[in-house]
Amino acid sequence: MKKTKLRTHWLGAALIVVFLFGMIFPFFWILITSFKPDGEIFGDGAFRIFAQHPTLNAYYEVLFNKNILTSVRNSLIVATTTTVYIIVIATFTAYAISRFRFPGKNLLLGLILAVSMFPQMIVVGPVYNMFLNLHLTNSFAVVLPYSTITLPIAVWILVTHFNQIPIALEESAKIDGASPLQILYKIVFPLAAPGVFTTAIIVFIAAWNEFLLTITLNSDSAYHTVPVAISFLRTQFQILWSEVSAATVIVTIPTLVIVLLFQKKIVSGLTSGGVKE
Amino acid sequence: MKKAGWQPLWFILPTLLFIAVFSIWPIIQSFTYTFFDYQLNNQQKSGLYLSDRYNFDLFNETQTYVKLFMSEDRPHVTAEADRARIDGVLKQVDAANQQFKGKVKIQKISSAEEKQLSALDGRVTSVVQQINSKYKTPNGKNLAQVIKGYKESFIKSNFIGFRGYAQALTDPRLGNALWKTTLFTVVSVFIEFVLGLFLAMIMNKAIRGQGFIRTTSLIPWAIPTAVAALMWSYLYDGSSGIVANFFEKIGLVGNSSDLLLSAGGAMVSTIIADVWKTTPYMAILLLAGLQNIPESIYEAADIDGANKWQRFFRVTLPMLKPAILVALLFRTLDAFRVFDLIYVLTNGGPGGATESLSLYAYKTMFGQTNFGYGSVIVMLMFVCVAIIAVIFVKVLGTNLMDKN
Repeated sequence: MKKTKLRTHWLGAALIVVFLFGMIFPFFWILITSFKPDGEIFGDGAFRIFAQHPTLNAYYEVLFNKNILTSVRNSLIVATTTTVYIIVIATFTAYAISRFRFPGKNLLLGLILAVSMFPQMIVVGPVYNMFLNLHLTNSFAVVLPYSTITLPIAVWILVTHFNQIPIALEESAKIDGASPLQILYKIVFPLAAPGVFTTAIIVFIAAWNEFLLTITLNSDSAYHTVPVAISFLRTQFQILWSEVSAATVIVTIPTLVIVLLFQKKIVSGLTSGGVKE
Repeated sequence: MKKAGWQPLWFILPTLLFIAVFSIWPIIQSFTYTFFDYQLNNQQKSGLYLSDRYNFDLFNETQTYVKLFMSEDRPHVTAEADRARIDGVLKQVDAANQQFKGKVKIQKISSAEEKQLSALDGRVTSVVQQINSKYKTPNGKNLAQVIKGYKESFIKSNFIGFRGYAQALTDPRLGNALWKTTLFTVVSVFIEFVLGLFLAMIMNKAIRGQGFIRTTSLIPWAIPTAVAALMWSYLYDGSSGIVANFFEKIGLVGNSSDLLLSAGGAMVSTIIADVWKTTPYMAILLLAGLQNIPESIYEAADIDGANKWQRFFRVTLPMLKPAILVALLFRTLDAFRVFDLIYVLTNGGPGGATESLSLYAYKTMFGQTNFGYGSVIVMLMFVCVAIIAVIFVKVLGTNLMDKN
């Protein structure tokens, strides 16, 4: 009995190691490639682990000649703006859904759920026409249609969090004569802060990763976000893998920092209410 | 629960507004597009025209050039009768300009106006032909080109009813995209589920290093799909891709450069990249479900003498069913609308072998600027997504709202 347990333990550990290797290897290989000179990426040396003549040329090239930092800046602007305004409006809606009884509530929940399910491609055409008519293409107004992706997730996660806050506190505040807004600001928000923060991280990541709307609405490279800028490195006539690798390393750093700092929050956000992304 | 009069409305109004403007209205628009031969780069089809109309912008432009070229050419015409003809046309052009002064863009016109504009077109065309047959004026060729504007200004209705859908029924490329999308969705979600469940169970048992495992799993999920796709396209590269090289060494592909260039290879590569990116996400969702199963149930099963397999099939799976269904539903819908991954990794190639519905719709709308047919494809996706959702919710009994 003990022997089989030990064996399964080792088997499990071995599988975990294989899994972790699979997860990390692509990043590891990209990191290594980013230091290789072009000559070592093609030909015989292509599969050598360490570069014989390591160089920072690729980093220099993408940072100063390919303006990868512009796309990082754009992504920061877009993702931060989206997070702030989505969190504000989603908090109010989630609070109402969690605390009030009103006609059409289930319809609203169903609508929010349906919006999170349908293919994004369906809104892109009309939104493109709308932006064309309002002269909003090639601007940061792209954050407004980002609501199709982020708003449903945000409301959904927040409702789960609000439901976990006991209602008794609010009721006693009401007896003490607090107005609904006072209750919201002085009691609910402080209690809901961890949940709101979790939601903010998930929304930030979703906005950071958005691709389709930016590539269709903002054709000007001055407004390209990280995913779109990266995809254009691919479609160039000749693919310079050292530069692609260096760019990938640079743009992965912000994501890495967020994941390392907030991994517990992210997991709790992902698992609350079985929410996608 | 409080009962509140109008107050909730103020709380939900902003959300309703955003959903209405950026989700509901565009869906209705897309649906409308499907009934028109709507092509952005074709001047006569770049709008939704239920009735016949007239393009006054083009008309005004045509008039201006006709006047300019004719006045310039007049001194080159020698015969008095021909000069009189030109003067007559110029007069008529001026009169038309006067009559339709201030009209811009595309507007409806009355049938009297339509007759008049046709007559103008006929007159100008015949005079230009006569002059061109007799003389070699400096602007003769330009005029012959410019006067086509009169005819092109008449815009026929581009309402086509259900013909867009009829076209879809016989479009082999659409059938291929539907099949490829389904194949991609079913295979990748299945692999992700099996691997994810397996991982979740190991992670549930592991005592040490859970935080590290979790962090590592989150990174592929958190990076943008486009970035992941680009990373994989390097790993799959024919000459310097290490994964392609590895596949060649173990005999999965004959030649490493065939990996992305053969239909099967490209599909397998795309699925592997997707599995790499989303299996950890699946594992985390299922792990949360596993951690919700009370230990006491397993203890009871042990007392009843259940073996390992019975524990898994009789306790774990049934208890995990809600979490599994929710995870599967969202992953299936996500995989079904796959776009970024394929757009960056293969762009649908080789020869449409990995072209998903999203990609086909995108290429139709923004490559060929055919919004009408692109919307038909999108509507098909919409219907498929609805069917998938209904199957999960009604048939399998996924309960999405129990927590609320």
